[in-house]
Amino acid sequence: MKVSYVLGLCLILVSHIVFADAAQQTTYITFPSLNKQPKYQENVLAIYGAINHQAISPLFKAYQEKYPNVAIHYTESNTRHLYEQFISQPNVRPDVMLSPAMDLQFKLANDGYALAYDSPELSNVPKDSHWRNELFGFTYEPIVTALNSDILVGEALPLSREQLLNLIRSKNHLLDDKIGLFDIQQSGLGYLAWAYDGQQSRSYGRLLEAFGTHQARLYTDTSSMLNALLKGQIFIAYNLVGAYSYQWSQKYEWIKTIMPTDYTTIIMRTAFIPRDAQQPTLAKRFIDLLLSSEGQHILANHSGITPISTKVKGPYSRDELSKLPHGIFRPIPLGLELLIQTDDAKKRLIYHEWDNAMFTSPNDSSSLP
Amino acid sequence: MAKATTSIRRQLILMVATVLIVINVVALWSAHIYANRAAKESYDRLLYGSALQMAENISLLDSQFFIDLPVSAFETLALSTSDRAFYSIMNGQYQVLTGYKDLPNIPFTQLLQQSIEKEKFIPIYYEAMYHGETVRFVALGKRLLEADSVNDVFIIVGQTLDARRAAATEISQMALQFVTLFFFITLLLLLFVIWRVLQPLQAIKQAITERSPQELSPLEANVPSEIAPLLKSINFFMTQLDNTLSRLKRFTAEAAHQIRTPLAGLNSQAQNALDETDEVLRQKQLQHILESSNVLTNTVNQLLSRATLTHRYQSHPFSPVSLDHVIKETCRELVVWALEQQVEIEYLGDIQVTVNGDEFALKQMLQNIIENAIKYSPKGSVVEVELMVMDELSETSVVLQIRDQGIGVPDQDKEHIFEYFYRSPDNFASGSGIGLSIAKEVAEHHDARFHLKDNQPTGLIVEVIFPQRKGLSYES
Repeated sequence: MKVSYVLGLCLILVSHIVFADAAQQTTYITFPSLNKQPKYQENVLAIYGAINHQAISPLFKAYQEKYPNVAIHYTESNTRHLYEQFISQPNVRPDVMLSPAMDLQFKLANDGYALAYDSPELSNVPKDSHWRNELFGFTYEPIVTALNSDILVGEALPLSREQLLNLIRSKNHLLDDKIGLFDIQQSGLGYLAWAYDGQQSRSYGRLLEAFGTHQARLYTDTSSMLNALLKGQIFIAYNLVGAYSYQWSQKYEWIKTIMPTDYTTIIMRTAFIPRDAQQPTLAKRFIDLLLSSEGQHILANHSGITPISTKVKGPYSRDELSKLPHGIFRPIPLGLELLIQTDDAKKRLIYHEWDNAMFTSPNDSSSLP
Repeated sequence: MAKATTSIRRQLILMVATVLIVINVVALWSAHIYANRAAKESYDRLLYGSALQMAENISLLDSQFFIDLPVSAFETLALSTSDRAFYSIMNGQYQVLTGYKDLPNIPFTQLLQQSIEKEKFIPIYYEAMYHGETVRFVALGKRLLEADSVNDVFIIVGQTLDARRAAATEISQMALQFVTLFFFITLLLLLFVIWRVLQPLQAIKQAITERSPQELSPLEANVPSEIAPLLKSINFFMTQLDNTLSRLKRFTAEAAHQIRTPLAGLNSQAQNALDETDEVLRQKQLQHILESSNVLTNTVNQLLSRATLTHRYQSHPFSPVSLDHVIKETCRELVVWALEQQVEIEYLGDIQVTVNGDEFALKQMLQNIIENAIKYSPKGSVVEVELMVMDELSETSVVLQIRDQGIGVPDQDKEHIFEYFYRSPDNFASGSGIGLSIAKEVAEHHDARFHLKDNQPTGLIVEVIFPQRKGLSYES
């Protein structure tokens, strides 16, 4: 048993085939089934996700240990691209969709694309972490600001958005072209977090103005933003997913991760099974694992992602998260409120403000609407 | 034995349960209708509220629509936590400005009409299938004015029905719980009330069961006024029974005595006759024996005829009897015996009367009365038998009188004369003493009244009055 387990692991490691689609930043990864008997019919569970494959693979491993005959084909891409692909390619839908862009996931579920599934594991997670029996939130992650402490030069770490604005004002041209943001038109998560800021805070307008004035750089995902931060291309990264940022902070001590103390937006990564999934049974088992104490435990201990369950313990559990300095936790509600984020008219308004701020010369910035 | 009809208790319970069930079913049905309407109305209001908030945030800016939907519009919809929602905002040409582009069954004609009438827009509610689920929609218009242009926008908001169904079910279930509780409580109370109401009947039954068969004194029980007549009837009946029983006892004792005494007399007379050496005296004693045995025969005959009559009362239905004919026949049969006693029988009356009755019994009655009259008549007198019609107040009745000229009956004896084996203390004639009582029984059996009157200057009149009844007819 032990020997075959180790052998299986080795095989997995060897056979990870990673394709990278440079144009769409899409990565295809295969996790072959553990059962190597040639005559055995292998089942494939296709998962699309906007989660770093290193973060999610412990969960895949746990799944395959339970169901050794299943191979997992994981397609990793950014949230908006996944959504658009889902809509535009009805023939190649996955068995499970994982994404932190709650609004896009919700829209798909609301429009009837999700399969209803009464998972027995739903009792493990808070009531407001799923919508109907279709969309399941499985993580609890803060949206944070990351900062290269070299820029401070003796100044205090800006804990709130107000302090961040003050820092930008005081450093002024030092920060030109040195602020990293999600490109809200490319990243679903970026749009969600930004639009939610618009609902929450009065500092939103001044932040936008400041980002525009200093020609903020736009990124489509957290990893590339953190890479830029590490390389010194940017000093401040606003609205990142906390999990990755904290991991980088642990590795590189000059990268500071801040949960803004005025309020801290919390997002849930959500999962659903598309109605036309090829392997609904396998997908249901995956959802069960995701929501089970075991799955939540793996997230809290091996994936570096804070799970939704309040019961599990681990370095990345909700308990540990709440011990870090933070503001009021404002979880984005998983419900019809999310429809506002997908509204076209609202989107045009936000894009319009954004474009005016980002793509006008610094001198014209006073003419923002 | 009378068969018991359906028990009162069972009937009451059945009726009460039926009424309760009907009431409760009606209550439940109403609650169900109310629940559906309440849920529908409240959720329609939410839908309308959401549409209003959306409408509030649509404006015209340089002839361009400016739509900035508020989160609250969606938060209102999110109050139904498990429902899908869809919305769409269209301009006057029904082009979708934002929201869902393929909403079904939009009431364009009504919206257009409201648009043309230029009055206030009123919300239009409708249901349609969308994405495989029934969706309740509200369509609302809004007029946007800018300088010299008028533009209408239409807001459509829809939501699936889970929350309202759940709300309706919840209200219905609460109603069901309440009604069920109410049903059982009322049923229990009513069962108690029924038990309580029927308790006196049970008490009477208990009181009767516990008595010894000989005890016939009136029942003492506190009963409600509705049951009191029943108790009264039972007590009356028991008194009757008591009387009848004691009469029967006395009769049996007397009968035994009446038979034993002549038997003893016969015995001793026969003994005397055996011992008598004088032929003449012996002849005389034998004569006495014959007389005593005649009396005994007579008594036994009367007893037998009475038993026969009692049996006939129960088994023979009445038939029309020609009363005058029976009377004449009886007189004719008795006339020889009367003459032997040197008494004449005279029949007066020329009417023909038919009564509904038992001919044998009537004849027995006549025989007894006439024999009795003859027995107490002095030699050479006449017993008159008369049948006549008498008008008494508004009623016409037929009256039969048998008059003798004997010593009559003193008033204090008149009431005893009908008792079995009663004989006037001054009576020396032979007789059984049950003749008149049998006659009276027969008369009463025929609903006739039986009277004793004094004759003038002396003697007794026995009067039998047949009242006007069905079956009584007469001709002069």
